[in-house]
Amino acid sequence: MGNKKQSASVRRAEKNLTIGLPRAMLYHRYGALWETFFQQLGVNVIVSEPTNRRIMEEGAALAIDETCLSAKIFLGHVQTLIGRCSYILVPRITGFGVRRDMCTRFSSLYDLTCNVFRTSGQKFLTYNIDEKARSDEETAFEKMGEFLGFSQKEVKSAYKEAKKAEADQRKKQIRQQEKQYEKPGMKILVAGHSYVAEDACVGKPVLDFLEKSGAVVIRADLMDRKDALKKSTQMSPTLKWEINRELAGSIQAQKDKVDGIILLSVFPCGPDSMASEMIIRKNRGVPLLNLVLDGQEGMAGIETRLESFLDIIRFKKGEMGRG
Amino acid sequence: MAKNRKGTKNLAFPRIANYNCAAKYIMEQGLEQHCVLQPEMTRHTLELGTKYSPDSVCAPFKTSLGSMIEALDAGADTLIMTYGLCRLGYYGELQEQILRDLGYEFEMVNLSEFTTGKKKDYLKAVKKLNPNVNLVHFAAAGIEGLKMAEYVDEIEETYYKNCGFETEKGSCRKIFRKFLRDMEQVESRSEMDAGYKAAREALAGVELEKPEHPLRVGIVGEYFTVMDAFSNLNLEQKLADLGVEVHRWMNVSHRNIHYSGEKNLNVSIRDLCRFEMGPTSTANIWCARKYAEQGFDGIIHVKSAGCTPEIDVMPVLQNIGEEYKIPVLYLTYDSQTSDTGLMTRIEAFYDMIAMRKKVR
Repeated sequence: MGNKKQSASVRRAEKNLTIGLPRAMLYHRYGALWETFFQQLGVNVIVSEPTNRRIMEEGAALAIDETCLSAKIFLGHVQTLIGRCSYILVPRITGFGVRRDMCTRFSSLYDLTCNVFRTSGQKFLTYNIDEKARSDEETAFEKMGEFLGFSQKEVKSAYKEAKKAEADQRKKQIRQQEKQYEKPGMKILVAGHSYVAEDACVGKPVLDFLEKSGAVVIRADLMDRKDALKKSTQMSPTLKWEINRELAGSIQAQKDKVDGIILLSVFPCGPDSMASEMIIRKNRGVPLLNLVLDGQEGMAGIETRLESFLDIIRFKKGEMGRG
Repeated sequence: MAKNRKGTKNLAFPRIANYNCAAKYIMEQGLEQHCVLQPEMTRHTLELGTKYSPDSVCAPFKTSLGSMIEALDAGADTLIMTYGLCRLGYYGELQEQILRDLGYEFEMVNLSEFTTGKKKDYLKAVKKLNPNVNLVHFAAAGIEGLKMAEYVDEIEETYYKNCGFETEKGSCRKIFRKFLRDMEQVESRSEMDAGYKAAREALAGVELEKPEHPLRVGIVGEYFTVMDAFSNLNLEQKLADLGVEVHRWMNVSHRNIHYSGEKNLNVSIRDLCRFEMGPTSTANIWCARKYAEQGFDGIIHVKSAGCTPEIDVMPVLQNIGEEYKIPVLYLTYDSQTSDTGLMTRIEAFYDMIAMRKKVR
């Protein structure tokens, strides 16, 4: 470990220190934070292109069959970055406190990726948020910056800027969602993890189709996170996953303002398999569609389900003639 | 709330492996309540649980829900459910909701509700089970209950290592069954110790015909399914019956009572994984490598379908398999897994490792 310091400065001196960001999983939650942080440090960043069929298929081939679609897509994105950057970022996040866990897959993703790409020669970068080890986000970023050879001062200021950029982006997104309510048409609250809703091959076609069909889409994941967390305990006191609590809280807060709710998840999502069941059981009487996507179904079948869901709502609202 | 004659509660805990005797001991000797011991799990339990569970939830959710229903039908008025580090931590609340929607009336003590980061808060759960609990009594019974779990683990370990080699078929099984029945009945530490000693001595006296180098298979995997013989369709018994010495590290003694800690285990697998990938991942990777290094003939990885932490361990186990040239069989159990299908896979695996041993 004696040459740790030296190798860190070497890392920094690498002319083209480039960090690869897979456009999957937590990129859709922390993208702004990551990009700004590395840009502030003067590090090159490449982000993989939006998901396409090839990425999905290659990811599926790399993954264990039973892995969730989102993790398969993630591995596909990593594959496209192999050999193109000094490091590929794969954070490890266990959670943020009691009943603020992340899915265990975010505890394993870094080691999982390293094992899958063991023979590729690619180096991976991580930061570790672990409540038990008392490592919060700021500490984790400081360690990561130090590993790359930057001074504590540089890292601290980069992190500060990155947090600002993250908050600004977040505020803008939330404002945009609130504006959606001013639009005419039936409001559909879509509750799915950001990495499902925003994925070009998974959630995006669903959202696009809804809008094309005249629905106004409200995304449940784009609500103030603290408020949503607080609200979630009204629906389910021991719900333990941070992201599922945000979604459940957001539904709790907005269910009376919308015409229907779509639970959007991928197969097989561990937390969703239980959280969705609870949401359905606690919201009888609200038009609700539980849409689980596995990437194999093709758009035609999904469109039929969405159309009939929208028709039911229209029928309920009296916008469609009877008989 | 229905009370039994003494005005005490009728407590029940879902069936898990062979540990319900220890849970019963703590409930009766420590909490001084009556314990309802529902029947051992059967196909019916699983079907019952599956019927009312969400589709893609892991199998232990379904079996434990089925077991709760069987406990309520057997007269339990209070259900206890544990917390957990994976989906298990949310089992209790969702199962309670499902049971209430079905119309069952009962009291629920869900340890997840009392998981606040402060251990002290578990006392509130104890007080809920018996407001007049004698804490000294309870602590003593708790320690004795854990001792019983250790006894169960030790006897079970010996059983699966040896039962495949007994000269008189079924003699180990008889001792093991009697031991478990005894443990369900005992009311004191001395009775418990006597039952354990009797079983240990009886097992030691069974005549074995074991080759000098028997086929050895190490079993790793998901906490519940790997320990629960019903859930893994008697995997260990099936292997033993083929003449295999079966080893399984994962049990309550090793993983909970005497766990040496993630950090200590991680030291020897640092090159394979840097972090704890899931609640039992470090232990399983460490254990699989240990089996490989000790020259076992094969490793079997067991999990219920959709178990996220165990799915993520698989790429690491694949690397161990390659590194040590040791065959690894991956078994996934769901509510549809059939006995015959499993038997075919085990026999094929057995034939393969037996052939490899001959060649070597």
